[in-house]
Amino acid sequence: MPSLVGIYDAPGPVADCAKKLRNRGFTDLEIYSPAAFPELDDALDEKPSRVRLYTLIGGLIGVVTGYALPIWMSYDWPVVIGGKPFASIPTYTIIGFELTILFGGLATLLGLLIVGGLPYGSFGKADKGYSARFSAEEFGLVVGCSDRDVSEVDAMLKAHGSKEVNVVEA
Amino acid sequence: MQPPPPPAPGESPINRDIMSVMDGVSPGYFMLLGACVLSVVAAGATWVYQVYEGLGIGGYTHPIFWGAYIVTFVFWVGIAHAGTLISAILYLFRAKWRNAINRSAEAMTVFAVLTAAQFLGIHVGRMWKSYFILPYPNQRGLWVNFRSPLEWDTFAISTYATISIVFFFIGLIPDLAILRDRSRGLKKLVYTALALGWQGTSTQWKSHTRSVLHLSGLATPLVLSVHSVVSWDFAMSIVPGWHATIFAPYFVAGAIFSGFAMVLTVMIPVRRIYGLEEYINDYHFENMTRFLLLTSWIVGYAYGIEYFIAWYSGVEAEQTAFWLRAFGPYWFSTWTMIICNVVIPQIFWFKKFRTHVPTIFVVSTFINIGMWFERYVIIITSLTREYDPAVWGTYTPTWAELTIFAGSFGFFGMLFLMFMKFFPVIAITEMKELAIHDRAHAAGGGH
Repeated sequence: MPSLVGIYDAPGPVADCAKKLRNRGFTDLEIYSPAAFPELDDALDEKPSRVRLYTLIGGLIGVVTGYALPIWMSYDWPVVIGGKPFASIPTYTIIGFELTILFGGLATLLGLLIVGGLPYGSFGKADKGYSARFSAEEFGLVVGCSDRDVSEVDAMLKAHGSKEVNVVEA
Repeated sequence: MQPPPPPAPGESPINRDIMSVMDGVSPGYFMLLGACVLSVVAAGATWVYQVYEGLGIGGYTHPIFWGAYIVTFVFWVGIAHAGTLISAILYLFRAKWRNAINRSAEAMTVFAVLTAAQFLGIHVGRMWKSYFILPYPNQRGLWVNFRSPLEWDTFAISTYATISIVFFFIGLIPDLAILRDRSRGLKKLVYTALALGWQGTSTQWKSHTRSVLHLSGLATPLVLSVHSVVSWDFAMSIVPGWHATIFAPYFVAGAIFSGFAMVLTVMIPVRRIYGLEEYINDYHFENMTRFLLLTSWIVGYAYGIEYFIAWYSGVEAEQTAFWLRAFGPYWFSTWTMIICNVVIPQIFWFKKFRTHVPTIFVVSTFINIGMWFERYVIIITSLTREYDPAVWGTYTPTWAELTIFAGSFGFFGMLFLMFMKFFPVIAITEMKELAIHDRAHAAGGGH
C-alpha cells in the first residue's frame, strides 16, 4: 500500500487538509511538525490528551503517600517530640505537598512516554514517511491509501498548498 | 573527524545558528574548562583532607556551626530558582521573551541544584552517612523526625532536583531529535537513544504540550515552596535574626533575584562569543532587567522590614542582633549586601541601561556577590550574636571553605561548558514555533 507525503511550509493548510481527508474517510494519517502548533493539536484527534489523567492520578497517589508515610512512621515507633501529637498534620503537610509534586511530575513524564508512544520504533529506525526535513522547518502530511486513491489524495494535498508530494511504498 | 552530514533540502537557519554553538572547541574554551576542572580538583582534594582531618579545618568554632558551606548551599539553591521561574511561571503567563533563555536557565537550575546538594554532604562532615536523613527501614526500627525543617528540606530539595531534571529532559526531547537527524557515528547513537524516537507527530506534540503545561503547573508552587522550606531551616528556630515570619517570601524573592542575575552573568558572554545576538536581544534584556529591579525592591523591602520588626518587637536580643549586623564586626558584609542588592540595581530605572549589555553584566555580577553576602549576613551575624553575650563568638571562613566555595563555581561552570557542547543552548523548537508563526502571519494566513 503506498503512502503519500505532502510537504508544507505552514501548519494551517496541513490541519485543513487533514480534516478534509478524514471527512473523505481516510484514516491512515500522520502529521510531522517541527514545533508545537495549536492548529495541529486537533487535526487528527479532537479528544484532549490523556496525559492529564496521569498527572491527576500521580498527584493523588503523592498526596496520600505524603501524609500516610510520616503518620504511619510516627506511630510505628512512637516518640513524643516537643509535646506534639504523633500525627502532626500541619508539619506533615509539607511532606504531603512535596510528594504530590514529585509523584505528579513523574507520572506526567510517564504519561508523555505512554501517550506519545515513546520510546518510538526500534533503535534509530523512523517511519518511512519521516525525514530530517521535518526537524528543519517543514511540515509533512502522510496519507496511507489504496492504489486507486493515489491520484485523488495527490490532488487534495496539492489543492491545500502542498509544495511537493512524494510517494513512499509502505 | 568525519565531516558533518550535508544540509538537508530546506535546512532551517535556526537549526544552523543554534547548533553552531556546539561546533568545535576553541583554545579559550579549553582554558576555561581546564580552569574549572582544576578548581574542582582542588576542592575535591580539600574535601578529602577535611574528611581526614575533621571539620575543624573549616571555620567552625563554638557557637558557629553553620558556616560558609551552608551560606554557599543557600546561594546555589537560590540560583537554581531562575530556571524554573522562567520555564514554568513565565510559561503559564505566556511571556514570549522567555523562549530565548529558558533552555540555558533550566540547565543552570539542574547544575545549581547538583552543586548545592553537595554542600549538605560537605557540611555534615561524614558525607557517606548523609542517607541517615532518608526514612529507610532499618534494624533499630527508627524513623526520621518529620517535624524537623531539615527533613522537610530533604524532601523539598530532592523533589526539586528530580522535577527540574524531568522538566529539562522533556523540553530537550524534540531538540535531541533535531540533533539525531544531523549527526553521525557515536554521537548519532547517543542522540538517537536520548531522543526516544521522537518524530514530531501531532500526537507526540499534543502530549508534549500537555506535559509541559502540567509540569509548569506543578513546578510553579514547587519553586515557591523550595526556598520557603530552606528559609524555614532558619525561621523555625529561635535564633535572633532568624525567627521571622517574613523569611519565606523574603528568601523566594532573593532566590529569583539571584537566579536571574546568574542567568544574565552566564548568558551575556555566551551570546557574545557565539553570535546569538539575533536570538537574545534588547527585548529580552529589557524584561530581565525589569524583573531584577522588581525583585531588588522586594529584597530591599524585606531588609527594611526586618529592621523595623526588630525595633517594633521590643525584643532586646533581636534589636542587638540587628544593630550589630549594621555596625558590629560584620558591618562590611551587611553594607556590601545592601549596596549590591538594593542600591546598584536602581540603575535599571533608566531604559538606556536596561539595554546596555556591559552595564547589565557588571550589575548582575554585583548582584551575585551581594546575594552571597546576604546569606552570609543572615547566617553568620545571627549565630555569632545569640542571646547570651558570654557565648558570643566570631567566625571567618578558612582557606578550606574558600577553596571548596571556589570549586563550586568550577563545578557549575564545568557542567555548563559541557552542556553547551552537547546540547542546544537555546530551545530550537520554541524558536521555530515563533518564526513559523510569524512567517504564516506575514504571508497573510491567519489562525
